[in-house]
Amino acid sequence: MTNDENKEGIGGMANPRRYGIERVAYLLMRLSGLGLLAYFVAHIYETSNILRGQVGWNEFLELTQTTGGHIFLAIVIGMCVFHTVNGVRVMLGHGGVGVGKPARPDYPYDPASQNYRHKIGIYSAIVLAAVAMMYGLAVMFGE
Amino acid sequence: MRESTIMKIHYGTALAAVALVAVHILMRLTTGFAESLEYENVLANYKFIPYAAMLELILILLAVHGFNGLRVILLELKQGRMYEKAVSYGCLVAMFGLIAYGSNTIIRTNMGMT
Repeated sequence: MTNDENKEGIGGMANPRRYGIERVAYLLMRLSGLGLLAYFVAHIYETSNILRGQVGWNEFLELTQTTGGHIFLAIVIGMCVFHTVNGVRVMLGHGGVGVGKPARPDYPYDPASQNYRHKIGIYSAIVLAAVAMMYGLAVMFGE
Repeated sequence: MRESTIMKIHYGTALAAVALVAVHILMRLTTGFAESLEYENVLANYKFIPYAAMLELILILLAVHGFNGLRVILLELKQGRMYEKAVSYGCLVAMFGLIAYGSNTIIRTNMGMT
């Protein structure tokens, strides 16, 4: 196989079916990061409507304070919590926490860093994101 | 700037932003969610100088973290001297643009120019 044939581009980076839950976390981290950046830019624009006075603010609030708007915000909450918890896990990993001790690579060559501690971290991030989304929905729809 | 220094800034801005965004969200829960978004309440938030300063800090921290994250993702996809320069400077310009736009809202609302 030549180098050109081996290039998978974005498809290769985004493929979550190989390399286990770590690859899924890698993909979710980037997707949630891009989603949060898009939301952040939109939020800065949204809040700038306060400069249009009470009428402008209320007009924009009518667009966002809807069922669809609340569901969208719940997704943002989920992305935010996952990105935060998984980000802390990545930071700890980069700092050498929970990655295991260096050892001679023996068959089947399981990477010491991809151990149960980090897997628990990833699953915790997913569960906490789901719980935060449900709490957010309860707050937004509970009124 | 060295990539190791940039990553330290990336992690530092993330940790600081988590703490400040938590305060920002808790402010929405001090009263009812819908009530906290009423014009008078939001205006009062902006006019309270410590809170406005915190909003400015969140704006800077998240803009730095967000656009550096975007830069990292784009540099993972493709490499090359010109491409890397274009991505880095593009993200820098977007970051300063967003900070300027957000600061305009915070400062003008704080000074009562609405």
